[in-house]
Amino acid sequence: MQHQKMPGTTPSHGPASAVNRPALFARYGTLEDLRYDYPLVLVEDDKGGTQFRPLMRLIDDALGAVAQPGPAGEAQRQQVLRLEAAIRRRVAAGESGRLSDLWRTSAAALLQAQGEQPFGPMDTNLDRARERLHADGMVIGCDAATPKAVLSHAWHAVHRDKAAAFRKKVDGLILRLSDILKADFMKSDEAHGAEALKSAVGQADSVGIDFGALSGILARARPVDRLPEDRLHRIGWALSVLGGQRFYGPVRGSELLPGQPKPHSYIFESCARALDAYRERLPEMVEFVKALTTAELEAEGKYRPAQHDPVLNAYDESDLTAEQEALLPAALVLLRDGEDDIAETVRAFEALASGLPIKVLVQTDDILGTTSPEPSRHAFGGGSARLAAMAMGTNNAFALQVSSAHLYRMRDALVRGMRYDGAALFCVYSGATPSVEGVAPYLLAAAATESRAFPTFCYDPSAGPDWARRFDLATNPALEADWPGYRLDFEDGTGQRLSIDTAFSFIDFAMCDARYARYSQPIAQKDWSEKMLPAADWLTLEPAMAVARVPYVLGINAHNELTRCGVAEKVAEAATRAIDAWRRLQELAGIRNSHAERLLAAERVKFEARTAEAVAKAVAAAAAAAPASVGPAPTVAVVASVPAASPARAAAPSAAATAAPAASAAAAPPSDLPWIETARCTTCNECTQINAQLFAYNDNMQAYIVNPDGGSFRQLVEAAEGCQVSIIHPGKPRNPDEPDLPALIERAKAFA
Amino acid sequence: MSENLSACMMRMVETDYALSDYQSDIAPRWCVGCGDTAILTAMQKLCRDEQLAPEKTVCVSGIGCSSRLPHYMNAYGFHGIHGRALPVAEGVKIRRPDLDVFVTTGDGDCTSIGAAHWIHAIRYNMNMTVLLHDNQIYGLTKKQASPTSPIGQKSNTTPFGSVLLPLNPLTVTLGVANVSFVAQAVDWIPDLLYDILKKAFHHRGLSFVRILQRCPEFMQHRFDDYVRDPSKMRILTHGNGLRLSPEVSRVYKNQETHDPLDMGRALAIAAIADEIPVGILYNDPSVPCYDDLRAGERPSTPALVETVLREEFDKVTIWPDDAEPVAAE
Repeated sequence: MQHQKMPGTTPSHGPASAVNRPALFARYGTLEDLRYDYPLVLVEDDKGGTQFRPLMRLIDDALGAVAQPGPAGEAQRQQVLRLEAAIRRRVAAGESGRLSDLWRTSAAALLQAQGEQPFGPMDTNLDRARERLHADGMVIGCDAATPKAVLSHAWHAVHRDKAAAFRKKVDGLILRLSDILKADFMKSDEAHGAEALKSAVGQADSVGIDFGALSGILARARPVDRLPEDRLHRIGWALSVLGGQRFYGPVRGSELLPGQPKPHSYIFESCARALDAYRERLPEMVEFVKALTTAELEAEGKYRPAQHDPVLNAYDESDLTAEQEALLPAALVLLRDGEDDIAETVRAFEALASGLPIKVLVQTDDILGTTSPEPSRHAFGGGSARLAAMAMGTNNAFALQVSSAHLYRMRDALVRGMRYDGAALFCVYSGATPSVEGVAPYLLAAAATESRAFPTFCYDPSAGPDWARRFDLATNPALEADWPGYRLDFEDGTGQRLSIDTAFSFIDFAMCDARYARYSQPIAQKDWSEKMLPAADWLTLEPAMAVARVPYVLGINAHNELTRCGVAEKVAEAATRAIDAWRRLQELAGIRNSHAERLLAAERVKFEARTAEAVAKAVAAAAAAAPASVGPAPTVAVVASVPAASPARAAAPSAAATAAPAASAAAAPPSDLPWIETARCTTCNECTQINAQLFAYNDNMQAYIVNPDGGSFRQLVEAAEGCQVSIIHPGKPRNPDEPDLPALIERAKAFA
Repeated sequence: MSENLSACMMRMVETDYALSDYQSDIAPRWCVGCGDTAILTAMQKLCRDEQLAPEKTVCVSGIGCSSRLPHYMNAYGFHGIHGRALPVAEGVKIRRPDLDVFVTTGDGDCTSIGAAHWIHAIRYNMNMTVLLHDNQIYGLTKKQASPTSPIGQKSNTTPFGSVLLPLNPLTVTLGVANVSFVAQAVDWIPDLLYDILKKAFHHRGLSFVRILQRCPEFMQHRFDDYVRDPSKMRILTHGNGLRLSPEVSRVYKNQETHDPLDMGRALAIAAIADEIPVGILYNDPSVPCYDDLRAGERPSTPALVETVLREEFDKVTIWPDDAEPVAAE
């Protein structure tokens, strides 16, 4: 960890030493040198796959396949990783393109820079790795364009799958109906006419054949069971509707003939247009459903006009079901918070409440909003951070809130939302806030999640009937806590290494923003006092106590000098609101649920009263039975027979189930608990960043499972997948109601 | 999309097919006592019980006594040429996957002139039911030895007795790559013949059922010992195979529990010489079907065929400026 300098007695005022970042940002210099989720590759035609993958993971997979383990493959690994860094730098500089193109240009530049020859050892090594990439697509960095690019890509992937299923079904029916018409045609005079027979035989073989006579023979021999006129008409109508549908475009460009109506577009810039388009297309949808049903019945030979005509004649748009609409495309509406009219947000909620298949992306670049002249209570925006929570109120809309930094981690939820039959809202914070300078969008986006300014959560109405299955908050750090805490190492003025535990709060996040920096001004060390309290602790004080203390957060300036910064009331209030919103989400996720805690407290009181009564009775009985043998022994014996755990303790995560920090990793626990081969841990921070309640370091700075119930099975699986040395074993799921369990168990098998 | 509506509307059309709905106007012209009759009846019972629409059912055959069966079924039929029942059936199935396809073939038709098609049909594993009527003789042409005739069998072509060991259709089929369902039945235990046919019909893939049948004209006493002595019949049972009724179980006490996924034991059972095994020897539903593998992304509608042809012609077309092809989606 990078050491921080303490500014000593010199006040850190003035433009040169202006504090502009939270202290915990000190460890992140330039992101270009780090391997993380970006650049992302938007994988083309990733059938059944994740649709987008970090470049880092693709390269790790390729290296795993081509580079020999140990020192023998080290040179190749280094070369490929250098190339990865070169691609990352290009993307950070604004270059975009497909992975194969970026790879080629970056590799050529790298070879030239290293003085290596084409087809030489380095070129060969890079080429071998490239052959094992197994994926190609646009490479994107983390910036203002990311949410739209990722969401559009996911929508297109789902749209493509739906289109394929649609064509298979509809084309299959078209083929079968065409066969019926063709079979009927073959019984006609036209099919058996002399000319038709002659053209069927062909020029070369037609000499010497009397096609007129042949036609006469065939006409006499052929069956006379032609299709009735009404059936011919019905099949022809169904064929024309199915063949002329405009819901999905053609796969091949040449299928669309000149003059033919173009397929409908399903990507909109506003919800109003999406809703209007839906209404306009309703008659077409009804016509299509009727034609499809007719075709299915006709193909099976089961259309009975007397029975079925009345049903189809009465069928109208009110009869359309979600199941029927599921085969048709869903609309995608791309909105940008701050740019679109507020009325558009209202329309978005109208669309979400309607349950129509409309997927709305609200991208926000600025969570805090602009400073307004209104009282401080409303000064910090935060409106965009509340949209998804409000969408959950519609009950039947899918809602996902996520920052760009967690898009990859929430990929499954993202695709679920796109596949969901009804409406879906995706609120994505890009991290590209214009008023924040010097902080990479990825870092700011991650900070927004860490600081509870923009928590990640997903509400999936299709996951089950209750909140436990529908609502997922597990991707956030330190789920049980108000703020996540981290250890900060620094040097004091004398070069002495020190460390403190500090929380990353909403105030730290707000400090990054130039508009709000004035609310967190540095305090010279000479002005420090006993009254000062870290803001995270100060926020938990009762109001009466709080007025007597001075809250502060730790910040650093451009020279990585650490100081305390005061917290203005305006920011403190905003932090209070943020934590209030976070606690509400926690309750929805079943964490620190007030109803449950109240019930538990009441039960605890009852239990303790019963226990005390039992002990008292037992003591009295023992005293009556052996009045001569006075001593503590009977009491001890009686107390030992009382149940050991109170209900409160039994309900809490069992301490006994927690793996001991110092436990040797040599032997796997016999149970289904998750475990880590602690002795092999390389302290890469991967798992502890996923969830510090679940993973922690022991005294040797090697990871262990601190609380198997401290996080979700998904986090265990993701940590196992992300672990560089594959030492995390997720065990078996502990919460049977967790979403996507079968898929997660399948993924966990590799780490059994 | 409109499954519910279609399914609902289809339920409005009630069908109740009786056995007679599968009987054609032509009376069977097999000899009295011929095992083919039992097979025809079992098939018709199956069609009735499964309520297969006659217009959605196809029986394909080659040449031989057995191959007359399509004439006696009221369904679509294709009386093919000798040994070629399977390729015809494959053609029907790949073009019309919605039809239920049955193939009836004899020991000569299948294991002699049609042997190559037989091997490859097993390997293709297309979704159809193949019934090998094995009377161990060419009956239609008045008694010539077939590949399954027992050694020493005298016939018009082997007047001094056949000199080769017979070919065992079960072991051969079990040895082919992609085999997915192999069973053996006999015409003289109709209950089990029906049960096996039913299992074969419900198997997704090619179900190969060898049916040992009596030929009262040319192989009069070939199976007498087995017909009279139930203990010489070994009945294969399993939770995933045949489950015997109490009546059958009382008569046929020589039973073996055999897991249809156990290929090693299936091969051993298939090679048993002194008893006749009856039941499901092998059944692996996970084997891929060629018709599924080749189904492709989208069916070849007339419009698609025309488009593809036009694209081919366009490759040698010089486009005028205003008629460029439209870009794909």
